[in-house]
Amino acid sequence: MKMISIKKSDWAGAMEKVQKSYRLAGPVKEKKGHTFRELKDGETPDLEYSETRMSVKEVVLPQSEVMFSYSLDENKEGHHILEEVPFDETPRAAVGIRPYDAKAVEILKKNFMTEDYKDPYFERRYENLTLVGMAENNPSPVNFSTSCGTGPFDESCLDIILADAGDSYIGKALTEKGEKFAAAAGFAEGDSGVEAKLAELKEQAEGKIKSKVSFDKIEKMTILDLYEAPFWEEAAFACINCGTCTYACPTCWCFDIQDEVKGKDGVRMRNWDTCMSEVYSVHTTGHDPRHEAWQRTRNRFMHKLKYYLDKYEDGIMCVGCGRCVSQCPVNIDIRKVCQQMNDYEPSK
Amino acid sequence: MDAYTDKIKEISKKILSEGKVDVVIGFRKGTLGYMSEPYMAKSEKEAENLVFDCNCRMNLVNYVTNRKDKVGIVVKGCDSRNLVTHIIENKIKREQLYIIGVPCTGLADKKALLDLAEGEITSVEDDNETITIKGDGFEKKVAKSDVLQSNCKTCIKRNPVIFDELAGPEVAELEISDRFADVDEVEKMSADERWNFFGELLSECTRCYACRNACPLCYCPTCFVDESRPQWVGKSDNETDVLTYHFLRAFHDAGRCTDCGACEAACPMDIKMRYFTRKTIKDCVEKYGSEAGMELDKRPALDQYKINDPNEFIK
Amino acid sequence: MSEFEPKIITFLCNWCSYGAADLAGVSRFQYPPSMRVIRVPCSGRVSPKMILSAFRKGADGVWVSGCHPGDCHYISGNYYARRKFDVLNEMLEYVGIEKGRLHFSWISSAEGVKFAAVAKDVIETVTKLGPAKKFIKKLPEVA
Repeated sequence: MKMISIKKSDWAGAMEKVQKSYRLAGPVKEKKGHTFRELKDGETPDLEYSETRMSVKEVVLPQSEVMFSYSLDENKEGHHILEEVPFDETPRAAVGIRPYDAKAVEILKKNFMTEDYKDPYFERRYENLTLVGMAENNPSPVNFSTSCGTGPFDESCLDIILADAGDSYIGKALTEKGEKFAAAAGFAEGDSGVEAKLAELKEQAEGKIKSKVSFDKIEKMTILDLYEAPFWEEAAFACINCGTCTYACPTCWCFDIQDEVKGKDGVRMRNWDTCMSEVYSVHTTGHDPRHEAWQRTRNRFMHKLKYYLDKYEDGIMCVGCGRCVSQCPVNIDIRKVCQQMNDYEPSK
Repeated sequence: MDAYTDKIKEISKKILSEGKVDVVIGFRKGTLGYMSEPYMAKSEKEAENLVFDCNCRMNLVNYVTNRKDKVGIVVKGCDSRNLVTHIIENKIKREQLYIIGVPCTGLADKKALLDLAEGEITSVEDDNETITIKGDGFEKKVAKSDVLQSNCKTCIKRNPVIFDELAGPEVAELEISDRFADVDEVEKMSADERWNFFGELLSECTRCYACRNACPLCYCPTCFVDESRPQWVGKSDNETDVLTYHFLRAFHDAGRCTDCGACEAACPMDIKMRYFTRKTIKDCVEKYGSEAGMELDKRPALDQYKINDPNEFIK
Repeated sequence: MSEFEPKIITFLCNWCSYGAADLAGVSRFQYPPSMRVIRVPCSGRVSPKMILSAFRKGADGVWVSGCHPGDCHYISGNYYARRKFDVLNEMLEYVGIEKGRLHFSWISSAEGVKFAAVAKDVIETVTKLGPAKKFIKKLPEVA
């Protein structure tokens, strides 16, 4: 494990250097604040940010991704055949993601890269991606990552972790991928003090997180008990069933496959989908098992906090980034709902 | 506007206990200091949770669509106009409603509050003149006019047009000199500039449809964006599809939009989609002299006609 | 650009303008062949979605023609249509579609001459504007 230390004044230079061999995605300051997106050549990931509304999900599971293209034009070569779409194999790096967002990528992996089946689109994006994390010294008030098995300094899912130490960034290369990236960027080697400083910053940052969720009792309840709990209609009353929470969520992985055709040419693509929408669950018969708005809201929380928990036995499908809490137009708060579920006592 | 809270509780308890209504739809305190959550009180006890403040940004008319029971509802001036439209369009009956009107002095812009805060906001207090933002180790007072939601600055009806009881004395209506200054500004641009302006405006849209779902006018059983036969619009983040969505959504609301601002308040990306709806308001006012939802016997602008409507654009 | 022949989607009311187009044809009035006619039961049937759909699919111009005010087969369809079109027309220009891509007319079934004249005018205006570039839905680019 290599220690890293880089002066802030050298950051732009290092990123310019690394862009010779990597395509980068990272936080960029725009008019309304920071957004996380693919960077153009010469753009520097701005690590001096507090939050990005969209997460690193876009990099491994883009909102819209073309899977195949085809043509019915018999004058064209390979007509009537689904053609795989070429993919740029240049290594990529997501620079400046929050450590708990990296944990979210790990959660996505559980769905897209199982032992039996590997989703080729996710896999190829994931495999050549280096995750360069930027620890969060001042977690936002809605952040509850520490109770979701991760945290603002969680190293477990990153290739490199960086942290703000005044006039320089310090950190560690945690994996081989990370070391390669560090070499390509020419990060200077940090001294022995780095480790201690990181630990100190970590303790401070984690100490600032006041909001918590607990799900210890949810584990022990049956699905049906929770499903039929009486609080759902009230908890979901305000929900307008928009897709804000699902799109902002770094762990929501649902997608929808669509064909788009123009003339004789077409593409098959997949787009993010949201369980909040009625068309998500309606059957071709017209029957909709989740016809009522509150049933769809219940499904989202049940999936995140119960079904996932039972299926994977590895915590909840939430990293506590707080995006859904701060972006929800009607203030539906997953922390409160989780508490409600955990506190629920099914009548025997 | 905090002073309305007590009165709203009082009225709600009264109508619930007298059996005048089955539920009261209002707001309760949110988990974040700058948010209030739409809430339905079913009993006198639950009515105790009701609040009203400058964070009540959602339009509650959204929650009464097609209800069959007797409903008490808390409405501001703009919301009450949506209620009128709802009644005209048979989405709810007047007899089902007990309307608690709120003479409104405007809502606080969420983004403006967050920009002013120096940390976590724990409460936002509003005495109609000054907004006090309190938080973790800070307290800030600002003039309410400085943090108003932009639709509240050009509000034409702060007092409810229809109500059974008011939660406070009526307030003076605003005098607005240049109601459509923002739309005029865009109209002055060249066609290409306008095209780029709207492209830029929508560039961050993720099509979460928060704006559509926050809107009480958007009650179609199946929205055109969700239709598949014919499929009017693609489902991806394609810019033409995004524009088509916003364009047609605004058009569907033409002559019905009351500029309540719920769409913009709901947007997680702070997109100013009221540039679209306000253009339709301007046209309906200027061409047909029609303001949405002002009277129970006046149908929306595009649902009526006059023999001598403007005809110059037709050959 | 002189070679440019625009594609114009034309919605004609069954009870008047469609008859006028027929009359213009029978009377051998000349106008350029740039139009694709869609017969509709009433100008009031034409939804903004249809007009947008035409533009999205690459139409260089759209022309809707119905009965004169007062002559609607369904009494008031064209009156409602008029308000709808006025607001739509304004909205399209507002988002940056060039003035002159969208046209409306009232043409009765007896007005074959007017039909040919308006057709010429519409085609000339759209030709001058050149190929449409805005509001066209393209297939996603495949890298």
